[in-house]
Amino acid sequence: MIYSFYENIFKYLKIGFTYLSKDLKVIYFNKEFKSYIVDIHNPIEKCITELIPETVGLEDNLFEIASGNNKSLNLKYFAREDENGKVFYFNLLFYATEDPEKPIICLIENITDLATKEQKILQQQNEILLLESYLLSRGEFLFASILGSSEPIRNIQKMVAKISSVSFTTVLLLGESGTGKSLVAKAIHYSSQESKKPFVEINCAAIPESLLESELFGYEKGAFTGAVEKRRGLLEEANGGTLFLDEIGELPLKLQAKLLTFLESRKFRPLGSNKVKEVKVRLITATNRDLNEMKKNGEFREDLLYRLKVITFNLPPLRELGTDIITFANHFIHIYNIEFNKHVKTLSKDAERVLLNYRWPGNVRELSNVIERAMIFIESDVINVEDLNLHSDGKNTFSSKWTVPPEGFSLDQVERDLIFSALEKSGGNKSHASRLLGLSRDTFCYRLAKYKPE
Amino acid sequence: MNDSSIIKKKICLLGMFGVGKTSLIGRFVYNTFEDTYLSTIGVKVSQKIMPPLKLVNNKFIQHNFLIWDIEGFRKEIDITKKYYTGAAGALVVVDLTRSETINNFEELLNLFKEINPNAKIVLAGNKNDLINDKVKTLSMLDLVAKKEKYDYFLTSAKSGLNVENAFNKLSELLLP
Repeated sequence: MIYSFYENIFKYLKIGFTYLSKDLKVIYFNKEFKSYIVDIHNPIEKCITELIPETVGLEDNLFEIASGNNKSLNLKYFAREDENGKVFYFNLLFYATEDPEKPIICLIENITDLATKEQKILQQQNEILLLESYLLSRGEFLFASILGSSEPIRNIQKMVAKISSVSFTTVLLLGESGTGKSLVAKAIHYSSQESKKPFVEINCAAIPESLLESELFGYEKGAFTGAVEKRRGLLEEANGGTLFLDEIGELPLKLQAKLLTFLESRKFRPLGSNKVKEVKVRLITATNRDLNEMKKNGEFREDLLYRLKVITFNLPPLRELGTDIITFANHFIHIYNIEFNKHVKTLSKDAERVLLNYRWPGNVRELSNVIERAMIFIESDVINVEDLNLHSDGKNTFSSKWTVPPEGFSLDQVERDLIFSALEKSGGNKSHASRLLGLSRDTFCYRLAKYKPE
Repeated sequence: MNDSSIIKKKICLLGMFGVGKTSLIGRFVYNTFEDTYLSTIGVKVSQKIMPPLKLVNNKFIQHNFLIWDIEGFRKEIDITKKYYTGAAGALVVVDLTRSETINNFEELLNLFKEINPNAKIVLAGNKNDLINDKVKTLSMLDLVAKKEKYDYFLTSAKSGLNVENAFNKLSELLLP
């Protein structure tokens, strides 16, 4: 009678239930209970752990309930798959009864609708947290971001490992725009013993000359009009860590002298101050310009150049990294999958071929942009050639359209001629000329400076 | 020919969200791998019978692992604690690309050991395919493992690297 009463209520609520004996064997169960057990033929007298695998390990807790030492055990959100592979969720509840013959009642409640909704919320929360975490990791462990296995990349990895083991040295990074100079600088810092100390980055080309000095060295209150209060400079901010001066070639001559003084003594004086300050920093500088050429032209101090060149490293352009291009592309797919909530799995073989044959004037930065753009618009899970939207001006077409004459020729001469021809065609407009050659403006200017007549 | 004595053992997979617990089980139990991230809510139990290990009284001892894939641990939400009850062992998973998954390791482990003081522990540094051999998380994991005297494996659910080895080690540690 009482079973029938419960059975009707539980049937109405679609709840499976069973009574268990003190040795955890099934005494009675309803129809709904059968849909949760692994052996549906004869559950009576079988131990609950044999029927519901999720209860393995809970025996001690269940004996506590059976003996009246504990009132209940409530376990939520168990997931299982049905025979069609569809996930369903249930809660498992054990309660003590007052009947010594059947001391435990076990209830199983299907909560698939609720859990599915909660899973969606959790998914969104976790994706945001994962994205934040990846961004943090990009900062913390950039060494891991130096992906690839080509010879030039392995050299970079070795170089970063060696430099990061030396505190407060001076490093000069050279390379075309977009080759990852900033990433390498961060990798050196965050792989070093000083990784918990500040990494301070400043782009010398991005700050007006008038502000650069005060930004770098700091100032005292009243040092100049507008200096209403004392401010620490970035050199001081970087104390104990790394100061990264990007585009060092753009540093004005006046500041070059001041930076040289600092490098010689590791001391400096903030604007308007009589006090000399001493800091310990690892100085990393980077440029895509030819500093030797600038030195010849009187645009860069020779003595500073020698100070900066304690360790010099040339970062290779992307087009020289072979199949690492695909490794980088897959890495960006992974990143943008998270960022855009996409599920792109791979690149098609044709897309890979196009990426490998492209000249990549903008280097890794351009590759990142190409993948990002493709991922924004893509609807399938494979990136195809047409998704890449790469213009032919960056393609390596020399092999089909150009041939080397039997007597050979000077590549430098050809490059020089092409650069001046593009400049002539564009009426002296460097931006236009750089586009004609599929180069970034910086790269074009760098090469132009290289061939500029003495 | 010797018979087997199959012993059921509850094994918990512990770790923060997104470290790859579900993927490790996918690789170990079903030999599958999905690249897309699907967060686990609650717990899902999978079973796998482990290889026979030791001959006792003419019977091979063999474990039937009931592997609990538990929702990612989060400091502020303590809902995972109840799932730890009755576990014989745990595979604690960290993500080698995310340092914070190692930073939270001790807190998570203390919580688990509080409930199961005699449980056996093995560590897995997962997503080994995404890192190179200089990454700092490797030394962090090494340090933690040595400090607590736990065995650890660098795993990849994607390639399958060391996934079986990690579970086999746990099975070995659980021998009577």
